[in-house]
Amino acid sequence: MSWGDDNTLRVHITGIGWVTAAGVGAGRVNDKFALPQGPLPRIDPSDIFEKPWPNFRRMDRYSRLGLTALALALKDAGLSRWTRKRIIGIIASTVYGCLQTDVDYYKTVIPGRGANASPALFSYTLANSYLGEGAIRFGLTGTNYVLTEQHPSGLAALRTALNHMSMGGGSKFLAGVCDVECPDIFGEPGKTPAGAVFFMLERSFTRKISPYGQVSTDKEGEINLDGNQIKDLPALVQTCLDRFHHA
Amino acid sequence: METGLVVATDAAVITPFSGARENGEESLWQGLMAGRTAIGPIRRFPVDQGHYRARIASHMDDLKGSDGRSMLRDLLLRLVPEIGPVPPDSLMITATIKAGADNLESFCHGRQAHLPDLLLSSIADIMGPALSIDSNGICISASCASSTIAVAHGAALIQSGRAEVVLVSCGDIITEYAFSGFSSLKALSPVPCRPFDRDRQGLSLGEGAAALLLMSARRARRENRNRLGTVLGWGITNDATHITAPERRGKGLVQAVRQALNMAETDPEEITAISAHGTGTIYNDLMELNAFRQVFGKRKIPIYSVKGAIGHTLAAAGAIEVILGFKTLSEQTAPPTVGFENPEKGADGKVSAEPQPVSGHYLLTTNSGFGGVNAALVLGR
Repeated sequence: MSWGDDNTLRVHITGIGWVTAAGVGAGRVNDKFALPQGPLPRIDPSDIFEKPWPNFRRMDRYSRLGLTALALALKDAGLSRWTRKRIIGIIASTVYGCLQTDVDYYKTVIPGRGANASPALFSYTLANSYLGEGAIRFGLTGTNYVLTEQHPSGLAALRTALNHMSMGGGSKFLAGVCDVECPDIFGEPGKTPAGAVFFMLERSFTRKISPYGQVSTDKEGEINLDGNQIKDLPALVQTCLDRFHHA
Repeated sequence: METGLVVATDAAVITPFSGARENGEESLWQGLMAGRTAIGPIRRFPVDQGHYRARIASHMDDLKGSDGRSMLRDLLLRLVPEIGPVPPDSLMITATIKAGADNLESFCHGRQAHLPDLLLSSIADIMGPALSIDSNGICISASCASSTIAVAHGAALIQSGRAEVVLVSCGDIITEYAFSGFSSLKALSPVPCRPFDRDRQGLSLGEGAAALLLMSARRARRENRNRLGTVLGWGITNDATHITAPERRGKGLVQAVRQALNMAETDPEEITAISAHGTGTIYNDLMELNAFRQVFGKRKIPIYSVKGAIGHTLAAAGAIEVILGFKTLSEQTAPPTVGFENPEKGADGKVSAEPQPVSGHYLLTTNSGFGGVNAALVLGR
């Protein structure tokens, strides 16, 4: 951790994980990142999680997507294994959240006027449910919520996590984005490409690990990496990868 | 921009207690103090044909959707004449869990439905133009603690000097969608909910909306604004134990409360009353009593829940309870917990069906929800 000349908090990015139409990846494994429009790849949990997670397959697609990217970021940062719960927060942005799950759930309500309503599906009709699943799986007891930007930039969760960290609201955060494809009911392509990306942010760490850089916000709320302004989410990921793999 | 004290300067509340020409906050307060409940038979959708555990909720009979717009729009627009003036440079933070979920029902039944009302961002799309605010704000969705966190986030932005004025607005409506879900989880009480009562059977759903204008103290002074109260500290945690049930010992809530007290530089002894989440479910209320005992010991601190009067208003609950918390501090009276009769162990002498006198400057308000979320705020006079 350090404080910049302008008294803004700078924190390390120590892990990156993603699932996009271009593939599944993590910062230390892949040197290229893209967030194109298109169908998302199928996720095999045995490729992602070190221990079996039987409930994973029962979750909705939005949750599986977000949890995969979140798990990859934690693993990339060397934080996926734990014995005691940790004060690590999670903040994620979304445009559509679990809206497709909402539609799927309500279709269980209609036929029997509630008699067949699925409690299992209803549990995932909250945009933040998957963060709770992630908190349980990885023992994360910090601040934990979902937000939606009025004008999506993909960087609001990062900005919000940095604000929490600067106000003493925790020293480690996962921050990212998660969206499945635009729900069918809209009948049109989504506002943003489907995919999930998470960053592991840490004020300080003692593990032997090379961070990707130090991220901060300036007075206008713009995101900077090592003092250089970043225009959007893909640029932030790719800049981190370039620094790590080509430094 | 000045960093430091965060002042609430204006507020608006709409609940089923709000009459057409009455001040929503005052009518809610009067209803609470009279020990009334707005929880009654559901008339919005057919529950008699259904297979639900309950047939009651707290909802407004005159809420309308028109031209395919969600009833949420009607609800939120009722806030507008009750708050203001709202500075055009206000940053907008909104909170909702299901936004215009009635339009999802309409769509699925083949009726006209404005689908953008389904998005979490729809509250800002409704409130922004109505209040002439062009703000690139955010909507927070954290189950039942959504607007509590929105208030915390707004206060953080002001305290850190990143904003001077923040408008928090929030709302959720009663829909068959949400009602059926809570029923399927066996969380609904067949009778109006009875927070902290030994014989409680679950929660009652409610609908409501709130708006709260937060300012830096300097800006509030400059504009000669009212001072409803101050937001002094906050804590947000996750139980990391279960998606739909609280951690029974209340460890997550204890952690959130202690964070909030530390930030507010307030000792537990200085807290004069607690506005609890108090849903009336078996496990939530036990968890809260456990948590409060760990922080406040055996002290007979007044604890109240407003959910027996207005039901669980989901994402709006936190902000409504913040506004009522300011009222509690200004009136030095904690409202009754409607429906409370036989104290749950640990509630005796703390929770009351009658108004309770309080004496002091600081109040704790808490909310917890699905996903394991806990949020606590320390409010000042």
